[in-house]
Parts: sequence; C-alpha cells; structure tokens
Amino acid sequence: MIARLSDRPSGNATPIDPATLLGDWINYDTSSRNIAALTITRRGDAVILRITGAPDVDWGETTLDPFSLTTAGGEAAAFRAAYDFDFARIAILAYLNKRLLVVDAYTTFHDDSGRSNYFARDHFWAR
Amino acid sequence: MRYVRAEDRLPNGGASPGGRVDPSPMLGTWFATDKQSAGVVKMELSERDGAFVLRAFGAGSPDPIDWGEVPAIAYAKSVDSGEGMAVSAVFDFGFEESLLAAYSKGGILVLDTFNTFKDGSGRSAYFSREFFHR
Repeated sequence: MIARLSDRPSGNATPIDPATLLGDWINYDTSSRNIAALTITRRGDAVILRITGAPDVDWGETTLDPFSLTTAGGEAAAFRAAYDFDFARIAILAYLNKRLLVVDAYTTFHDDSGRSNYFARDHFWAR
Repeated sequence: MRYVRAEDRLPNGGASPGGRVDPSPMLGTWFATDKQSAGVVKMELSERDGAFVLRAFGAGSPDPIDWGEVPAIAYAKSVDSGEGMAVSAVFDFGFEESLLAAYSKGGILVLDTFNTFKDGSGRSAYFSREFFHR
C-alpha cells in the first residue's frame, strides 16, 4: 500500500545507518536562545540524543528515530525525537544538509502560562 | 514559569498572548512547486468550527491520493507572538504514519515529512523536504 508514489518499495531495503548523525553538534549561532548543542550517540541498537538548551540547560537523554532519504534505507539523512516536560512538549525534527545539521523545534505548552506554541530553527556543525 | 531555554521565557516579563496561535496567515490551498513530485502534491489548511485542520494529497497515478483531513497545530515564531507561521500534523494510514511539519517563509511553505511504515513490508523510514506555493 502507498499514500504517495515515494512510498513504493525501491529494491531490498537496508537498515538505516545512523553514523552520519553521531557526534557533538554545536550551534553556529552562539547567541541563540534556543538549542546550544546536541550530542548523538549509539547505545546498543538505540540512538540517543542529548540536548543542551541555551544558554546551559541539560534536557537529558531521549531516543531518536533516524530516517533515510528513500524506502531503500541506508545512510541516515534526518531524525525525529521528542522531549516531554511537564509544562511543554518539544518535537525535535532535524535533517542533514551535507555536514550542516538543521534542527527545528516545535514547542507546545501544556501549562497555564499563556505562552504561544512556537517554532524555532538552528544550524549546527559537528565538532 | 518553567523553561528549558532562554527562548521559552516571555521577554522582559511581558504579558502572555493568551496561548492561542492564529493560523490565518497560513490558511489556503498550497501546491507543490515540483510538478513531478512523488511526495505530497497539495495541502489545504483551513479552520473548521474553530479547529485548525490540514488536508493533504499524495502523488498518485493517475490521480492524487486524498489523505483526508486531520487536526493540525499552529506555531508562532516566539512565545509572545500570536501569529501562526508553522504547522504540524500526523496522518496515520494504518500501514504507515506520516508526520508533516512545515513553516512559512517569504510566501513559500517548506514541508518536512517523516514517514514510518508499520506493515512489516521492510520499507525504510524516510524523510522528505518539499516546497509549496499558494
């Protein structure tokens, strides 16, 4: 079954290799008020994300799901993850553009602060 | 007020906008700029009974595939803005789940899709990036 033509199988799929994502990623914008840095590691079969919020708030670890560019798998080109804090949920959606990691944060608030849900984007380089 | 980064804080202790993000700037029918796209070819963003909804169409042959309508979330550019400039929604087809996340910039809607198969077909989870105009 497909929901669009790009869903069609493309030969024998290979597992997604997250190696392209691994490492310490530093925000090019040192004045960013969003995410300062990310660390992505492999632990067994899982890929683990750790984020430091700007200026220096450790969000802790969460697992991430890697994505390739086609249904054939292979090299990871993107990932998604989420942080569920008691006051907010932050979806982290990221993709690689050559060796630039583009990270979008979609934040929804669940407290009574009246803050707007918001979108933020930053760009990261691998240390 | 809790926060995990500076951006979560209301500037200068200012008043909150009330928590509602107005999706109006994004409403309308959006068409893929790539007429040969094999991914999403059209999106309709609308409000129905006060709810923000997204209807999408995937590339098909001979006709586009209507995905139907799902609830959508609107996002502003900051915690103190009420003006929508990004959107996310999830389509669950049973055999596949697609997360759609898009932001508007200069009259263009930039869409990322994160697609995961649940049917044991062996197809790899994949990502796409597509551009839309009204």
